Amino acid sequence: MISSSVKTHTISKENLILEVKGIFTSESILQSLEIAEKKLDILCENNSTKKKLFNILVESLQNLYHHAEPYNTENNHIKNVEILVWRNQFCYYIKTENYIRKENINSLRTQIETVNSLSKSELRDYYKFSLKNNSFSAKGGANLGLIDIARKSGEKLEYNFRNVNNDVSIFELKIKVQK
Amino acid sequence: MELLKIESTKQTPEIDFNNKTGVLLIRGRSMSENSFEFFKEVNLWIEEYLNSPVEETIVKIHLEYFNTSSSKCILEIFKKLKKINDIQDKNINIKWFYDEDDEEMMETGEDYQDITDLPFEILIANE
Repeated sequence: MISSSVKTHTISKENLILEVKGIFTSESILQSLEIAEKKLDILCENNSTKKKLFNILVESLQNLYHHAEPYNTENNHIKNVEILVWRNQFCYYIKTENYIRKENINSLRTQIETVNSLSKSELRDYYKFSLKNNSFSAKGGANLGLIDIARKSGEKLEYNFRNVNNDVSIFELKIKVQK
Repeated sequence: MELLKIESTKQTPEIDFNNKTGVLLIRGRSMSENSFEFFKEVNLWIEEYLNSPVEETIVKIHLEYFNTSSSKCILEIFKKLKKINDIQDKNINIKWFYDEDDEEMMETGEDYQDITDLPFEILIANE
């Protein structure tokens, strides 16, 4: 189900866990993970949920680092992203935004739709199949990241592509984890 | 051939590989965005070890967190070590440890057992 944008609702200060906006580097991954882990240590009573969340965050941030595109080719080393982690009474949420080149939208959409169409046990088989058969891509993860995120989340991935200009769109991904 | 010892960091695991005893330990977090680079040295050591493995090699893996790029690297390690069994006709055993509340890590062990067809023991860590 594709909505016009992925809803974030209003997040109160007490429920905000991490907010990162702007230029993203490999150091940003480390810093963001450190902040998020410390906050989750305080907020998250359930150790298993905490591990799942942290794992999803690791994959999400590394996906951003490897796959986010620059806004334009003049600044081709600059990756602008947005990351938001928050909670409500029942769930934790991770939402990421990054630029994506228009020609890559269809393959990403297909990947997410495939992952979303699978049951828990099918996802596990798909993960094993991909781990065994995909070769290492230049960017590292061999497409395992999204499958892993979906497995750990246990929920369907929400996503949206927002038009920016003729070359790029903004890819929004929202991941939910039950408390 | 020398022992391989690498201290753990926030993102990379402790490595303690001993060619005399045949105990190869990987422990901690493996979540670097560049895990392929980290495991290069580990793979080189294993290739040398394959020339003269001991009668029984025991691989102990106890990971708290690991990312998908590490999961590929660890599979490569298992594939290399399988040669001990297939070509050298010596024994290899994998001991996969997981924390009691970490069902995912237990499942990951089962997944590797399934993919690699190596002798696996999946055990609750009592540390």
